[in-house]
Amino acid sequence: MTRKIKHYRPPGKKKEGNAARFITRSQAVKQLQCSLTLFRKLCILKGIFPREPKKKVKGNHHTYYHVKDIAYLQHEPLLEKFREIRAYQRKIKKALAKKDNDQAIRLQTRQPAPSYDGAILQRYPKFVDALRDLDDCLTMVHLFAVLPASERLKIEVECIHNCRRLSHEWQAYIVRTHKLRKVFVSVKGIYYQAEVEGQKITWLTPHAMQQVLPDDVNYSVMLTFLELYQNLLGFVNFRLYHLINVEYPPILDPQLEALAAGLYALSRYIDARSSMSVEEPKASSSSLPDQFRSQVEVTENEESEIRLAQLQHQLPTNEPGALMHLVQDAEGEDEDDEDTKECKKLFRNMKFFLSREVPRESLLFVIPAFGGVVSWDGDGAPFKEAEQSITHQIVDRPTQGHKYLSREYVQPQWIYDCINARIILPTEAYLVGRIPPPHLSPFVDNEVEGYVPDYAETIKRLQAAARNEVLPILGVGKEDLDDPQNLLVEGYISRTEAIEAAERKQKMEDLEKQHHEELKMELQNLHSSPVSKKIKKSPVKDTESKEESRTDLQQFIEDNERRETLLMPRKKRGLYEAIKKNKERKNAHVNKLKERKKAIEARKSDKN
Amino acid sequence: MGVGKDKKGSLQVNLGKQKSKNTIIKEETISSQSNKEKVNNSEEPEHHQEEEEEEIASDSESDYQELSDYEDEDYESSGGSESGESNSSGDEGSIDTDNDDGMDSEDQSNDSESDKVAEESDSSEDEVAPRNTIGDVPLKWYEDEKHIGYDITGKKITKKERQDKLESFLASADDSENWRKIYDEYNDEVVELTKEEIKVIRRLVKGKAPHLDFDPYPTYSDWFKWDAKHPLSNAPEPKRRFTPSKWEAKMVVKYVRAIRKGLLKFDKPKEEPRFHLLWGGDSGSAEKAAHLSYIPAPKPKLPGHEESYNPSLEYIPTQEEINSYQLMDEEDRPKFIPKRYTSLRSIPAYENAVKDSFERCLDLYLCPRVRKKRINIDPKSLKPKLPSRKDLKPYPVTCYLEYKGHNGAVMSISTEASGQWIASGSTDGTVRVWEVETGRCLKIWEFGEAVQCVAWSPLHELPILAISVGQDVFVLNTGLGNEVVQKKVKELLHVEMSTPADDSGNKSSSLSWVQDEKHEGIKLRHFRTVSAVEWHRKGDYFCTVMPAGESKAVLIHQLSKKLTQRLPFKLHGLPVSSVFHPTRSVFFVATKKNVRVYDLLKHKLIKKLETGLREVSSIAVHPAGDNVIVGSKEGKLCWFDMDLSSKPYKILKYVIFLKFLNFQILLDQYYFSLINFL
Repeated sequence: MTRKIKHYRPPGKKKEGNAARFITRSQAVKQLQCSLTLFRKLCILKGIFPREPKKKVKGNHHTYYHVKDIAYLQHEPLLEKFREIRAYQRKIKKALAKKDNDQAIRLQTRQPAPSYDGAILQRYPKFVDALRDLDDCLTMVHLFAVLPASERLKIEVECIHNCRRLSHEWQAYIVRTHKLRKVFVSVKGIYYQAEVEGQKITWLTPHAMQQVLPDDVNYSVMLTFLELYQNLLGFVNFRLYHLINVEYPPILDPQLEALAAGLYALSRYIDARSSMSVEEPKASSSSLPDQFRSQVEVTENEESEIRLAQLQHQLPTNEPGALMHLVQDAEGEDEDDEDTKECKKLFRNMKFFLSREVPRESLLFVIPAFGGVVSWDGDGAPFKEAEQSITHQIVDRPTQGHKYLSREYVQPQWIYDCINARIILPTEAYLVGRIPPPHLSPFVDNEVEGYVPDYAETIKRLQAAARNEVLPILGVGKEDLDDPQNLLVEGYISRTEAIEAAERKQKMEDLEKQHHEELKMELQNLHSSPVSKKIKKSPVKDTESKEESRTDLQQFIEDNERRETLLMPRKKRGLYEAIKKNKERKNAHVNKLKERKKAIEARKSDKN
Repeated sequence: MGVGKDKKGSLQVNLGKQKSKNTIIKEETISSQSNKEKVNNSEEPEHHQEEEEEEIASDSESDYQELSDYEDEDYESSGGSESGESNSSGDEGSIDTDNDDGMDSEDQSNDSESDKVAEESDSSEDEVAPRNTIGDVPLKWYEDEKHIGYDITGKKITKKERQDKLESFLASADDSENWRKIYDEYNDEVVELTKEEIKVIRRLVKGKAPHLDFDPYPTYSDWFKWDAKHPLSNAPEPKRRFTPSKWEAKMVVKYVRAIRKGLLKFDKPKEEPRFHLLWGGDSGSAEKAAHLSYIPAPKPKLPGHEESYNPSLEYIPTQEEINSYQLMDEEDRPKFIPKRYTSLRSIPAYENAVKDSFERCLDLYLCPRVRKKRINIDPKSLKPKLPSRKDLKPYPVTCYLEYKGHNGAVMSISTEASGQWIASGSTDGTVRVWEVETGRCLKIWEFGEAVQCVAWSPLHELPILAISVGQDVFVLNTGLGNEVVQKKVKELLHVEMSTPADDSGNKSSSLSWVQDEKHEGIKLRHFRTVSAVEWHRKGDYFCTVMPAGESKAVLIHQLSKKLTQRLPFKLHGLPVSSVFHPTRSVFFVATKKNVRVYDLLKHKLIKKLETGLREVSSIAVHPAGDNVIVGSKEGKLCWFDMDLSSKPYKILKYVIFLKFLNFQILLDQYYFSLINFL
């Protein structure tokens, strides 16, 4: 019998397996009859990604797409639309070449534009799906909101403005609904985490500085992504605003917007709108809030005046602030979960004033999101620096000249740390001119990581104190236990250090003891249980065996381990080893941190 | 005032020296002022002084306006003086303006001064009758003559008497106008330059057009436009100018039609609201598209403590560590080095913001996505659940007895069917029989060659031992048992001398059954080294294996008839060991890689067991016959269930080299006993 050729396929027989299921990128482009750039664009817009076939029929250096993915693209209306656009562009080009300017201008005024709603709906059939994928979208939009427009790179001014507007709209929604959960100031920018409809959405906003546009970046790819993201965020914002009964494309006060307080303008708009909608059924007994009045003074814009006129018409009596409370209470009862309530209350009854030098955009977003009232140094601010009711002034300068005694001057990091800890931290460490305590990431689970920084421990203690609980403090006398809050306020850092050291020691001892006991138990079982089952041995012998066991305890454990690893199948052994390696790496990292800390402490003590 | 400054010799000298503008202006102002003095002689002498000053100011101002290239300081000073002057009396101001006008426009003849200058120039041309007419001739020719040329009537023009230097100097010192006098060699006369002429010269020196009126950059007016009113030809207008164009009409019709059909639209497209409620009722659009499963992209990693702008100090690597990063491989190098800023205002812009974002984009659309199970399991759960050792008891824990006596390594042992005796073969060439319980050595045979294998006969009533030594196989009488037994054994082990003759007709001619008197048994001489001997359960047959024996590698001997036969099957590979089935007439032959199972009655291959081992060394069958274990030299043990497939049911790994295997029955549980003799 002759041996078959390995890859022989009789004529007429269809392909099977990976050869039939996957095609290379160039094959896909050929099948779609479009250019590579268009193919890339479609892939980006439709969220189609290469696949990894088990067997790469065409070779290892190809990119493979699933046949069904490509077939799906082939029926895509967007592909048709892009072809149409291309044909249209040719018409314009032709008219220009013929110097038929009228025609060219006429054509240019009604250019076809692709609509992405179909693609977005297909990609995200449910709203939750869209929210789940919103991280990258928000990060990108926020990044482009601060980029400089560049004609050479085809980053248009309108695009930048649109990004800015969209990001403000998103932030305004978050502020309004108090959905912000965590903030982290990193070197790369400021990370925010919000929780919308149960989805944790994290995004990064760059610091408000001049951004550089590097050359080794393909901006057309980024702009394609941005196009999709702008549309996605627009639709998401629409839906979110719809949920809180606010008309979507919000009409903003251009003056405030010009003053770079777009977010403030927007949140005021939302406040006004949503309160209006709530107000309508019970228009008889209500009032004009403070903010609205100030708005009357500030705005000269026609639209806003009309709006205000309407508002005033609806709100006949003057009972400042009542409406706001009404609205808030109603909302609070209805839908808010525990977390939101907690967040809303964090800065309640606090009034903040921002100095010139602090990052205004971020703080204007963050403070109201946690229930604070905020103003800033500049035009359009709701209240001035001289206002007596201000409780905190956020300052980021080496020294503060004139100080009001009625308020505290703190660095902006205090705000962020308070938010992450969900308590009002003592301000001593954050006062003007001091180097603030370390700013810790709220995204890290210290327990899992295996290393708890000092300040995290401090915050934990403060949190416990705020909850009126007393954490069991080990290695500290009773008098400490009596009034932990006093002590905490006084000199918590040094104390916590001491506590921590003591605690660590205790923990280690405990662990050791436990470990020994466990081992003992095991050995007892191993050595004496069969005996005890059959013949009741005398206790003397039992103890003997214990002593004996302790001597070659290590040996026994090692033996056991080896026996088990020997009998593992190869697959599982690989996995086991990988896990072990990972753990070792983690431990090495933690050990390094500890080592550094020790070195730092040693240096400190040397100096002292 | 300023008389000394005037004495600068001729104008040529001034221009040639490139005097600073400042002095020139001053000179000029002074000179102009002195001119005016002449003009304004009629005016009152009391005002004279004031006037002079004002004049200076006004002149300098006008000069500035005209020449417009004086230095700024001059302008400022003059401007200051001008403002001071404008504050003063009005009548003088009017005079000034007059003067300015005269200066500005040379054409204006109403100015007395300019009039006078013009007259002078005219009169000089008229009065000085004898003009030189020699033509363009070098004056050198007339150097020695008394005349300098000829006038229009042909008369000689005599040279004037030259002043000597002293006189001319004195004259120049007296005359403040001397600097604007030029000696004309050609006509032999002294010409005084007018103010206008000097201005022209100045402009020329500066490289400008001599006349003020000249505009070097006139606004261009196109006189020959197509719609000029001046027809180029006098031909009458053609008719086509008056009839409507046919082609235009066609075009218009075309446009009209296009507009009617709606192909052409001129109004701006209506702005539609871009966004609408896309996810109206979530339930409606809940059904998934019939599409491949969408794998959502993994979310970017969340930042840890070390990415903070103000991390704890222990997160910041020391300088040595940062230096050590340079030595690392680029892939291992940490991508982010923590840094500490003591205040929020000192954080710089992150330079890789755009790049990071771009890389994320690339990941999103270029990276293949694979759904992977998250490894979130306790590593302990991966370990197999082994029975603890105590459950495996009883197994030998302590050494109970040692059988001492062999000088070399023990290659093989075998227990007697009753379990009272044990036989062992060693490389020192001896076979010993021991009593199991006491450890007493009962008997010793010496062969002088390494003993490979020892096997007791399975029959209790026939205490016979089969031994393989080199190329020989011995069947020995152990001398155990009572006399009846001994008699029976001796009978069995007696070989007729005629056996070699019998053999000739038999299959294995190379084999001989010989009575061995020395060891009280039978010696079977093989042609190759024998590695294994194994008894059949009935004790009549035994098989030997010669790995190098090729087709006769496995032989089966019948003790009662002293017959030897070859295994009637083709062997694939090198046989290593062979075993009889404990209950049926089935025969196992282990070659290096596989185990073949033959049915001896039907003369048929029943099964081929694929061990997957590299080098099989031994095989053992369970007493019930349904389980087989195969040991290998690489330390693996395959366990086959005969009722199941031909693949091993389980493979166990040992660190040791497996040489010899045996099954044991113990307390209704089966264990493998591994015995390693090395």
